[in-house]
Amino acid sequence: MPVDLFLNGLQQGLILAIIAYGIMIPFRFLDFADLTADGAYPLGGAVCALCLSSGVSPIAAIPCSMLCSGLMGVCTALIHLKFRVPFMLAGIILSTMAYSVNLRIMGKPNLALFDCGGLLDAHVAGNILVMVAFLAGCVIPFSVFLRTDFGLRFRAIGLNPRLLQQQGVNIGKYTVFGLFAAGALFGLAGSLMVQLQSYMDVGIGVGILIHGLASLMIGEAIVGNATLNRQLAAPLLGALVYQQVQGLALSMGLAPSDLKFFTGGMVLLVLALRKAEGGRLE
Amino acid sequence: MLTISNITKSFSGLFEPVLNGITLSLQEGAFCTLIGANGSGKSTLLRIISGESLADSGTIRRRGAVSQVVQDVSRGTIPSMTMLENMALGGMQAPRFAFYRRHKNEILEKIRSLNMGLEKHIDQPLQVLSGGQRQAVATLMALHSGSKILLLDEHTSALDPNMQRLLMEVTAQSVRALGLTTLMITHNMEDAVRYGDRLVMLHKGQIVVDVQGREKSRLKVQSLLDRFHKFEDQNLLHGRSEHAC
Repeated sequence: MPVDLFLNGLQQGLILAIIAYGIMIPFRFLDFADLTADGAYPLGGAVCALCLSSGVSPIAAIPCSMLCSGLMGVCTALIHLKFRVPFMLAGIILSTMAYSVNLRIMGKPNLALFDCGGLLDAHVAGNILVMVAFLAGCVIPFSVFLRTDFGLRFRAIGLNPRLLQQQGVNIGKYTVFGLFAAGALFGLAGSLMVQLQSYMDVGIGVGILIHGLASLMIGEAIVGNATLNRQLAAPLLGALVYQQVQGLALSMGLAPSDLKFFTGGMVLLVLALRKAEGGRLE
Repeated sequence: MLTISNITKSFSGLFEPVLNGITLSLQEGAFCTLIGANGSGKSTLLRIISGESLADSGTIRRRGAVSQVVQDVSRGTIPSMTMLENMALGGMQAPRFAFYRRHKNEILEKIRSLNMGLEKHIDQPLQVLSGGQRQAVATLMALHSGSKILLLDEHTSALDPNMQRLLMEVTAQSVRALGLTTLMITHNMEDAVRYGDRLVMLHKGQIVVDVQGREKSRLKVQSLLDRFHKFEDQNLLHGRSEHAC
């Protein structure tokens, strides 16, 4: 595989890892399928594009994106908690609504940001350093949080909500916090992607959930999720492997139009392998 | 304090109510054992007290939070989490932004008090332990949860006789030391006689024996068994006569 393809895959993989961490929070700690990623990720990108085109500094654009996407996660949680709408449906509804919101924010379906500057430029090594710094800035504090009293409760919610309810724990508060954190990660990823590409298209979020989910599952298939450290390593490792496999497939002649079929196939393969492994263990 | 007044509960498909006018009052720190044949309504009563199930009629007044240990320990624990994490979670009363591992020594001490050699598994997931060992951990979690009312539903049923005795001793000592109001279901008549300061027998959803104080301390296993068999024989005879009709 050419070096530039590998490095490009590394950049994309680091952004995808942030998305995979966002997907891991509801899927693994809160035990529900949250589909907000498809809307929160382009929302982060759209807010970043608006900030950059308005002359806001690229660094300041990132927290703006994180806040907006995080609030979208909060909305998903509140729709579920207040109106008893299932999480999956709440995520789908909000992602659909976010499409119109993103168009409103940008004023048109796509924005070129080549003259606006950004944190990420043509220097791949520098880009990778910036992305690693952002990733570490999110994952290390989150990992510390998960080892505190509050973090322990947060991890336990998806595993035995009844036990926590008996202890008088307000599960709703933890759910809102979890979806805010997940949304903020999607916003960060969207913002970094827009700054990397210097371009924003309203359709960048289509299928992002399945890419993130594939990364998480591949990572868990490699390192497992029996301990907290393994669970936290899985999204990063999975996203890096996933992007490199995708790059390899493209370099071997896979048509870009077949990429989504390839992704779906990879997810199914990992699921089937995990099922077979589970069967053997049983 | 726990006051149960005139509780009734029926299930659709059953002709007779499972609980039929149960009234029971436990003072703070009281330790009551609850016995009765299968289907006499013991577990249903505990589920109603814990709030897991609703009574058809009657009232329950309780002061303080309730913790319980049931036969299916996966309901009261998190099998994929380590013993330390489970114990830290169970004993968490005022959570802080501090590492939960700070409680490790304190938790180790509690586990050592069981004398079951479980301390070596402290950093292993509960699912690697046997059902009985998990019951012991679940009991420790409930004892040290900070709740004032403790409900135990055959919490030693998966343990061998030696371990049963060990866990019962630890339970009785802790209940006394912590002043917990305790209601314990058991099928072991020796335990029912030996532990607790009150004994209640349920039969067909009603209290048929209620002894405490001196009467309880003078109670012998054989006399309790005789009373138990008397009610069950009546039940069998009644069943046969109904069948004959």
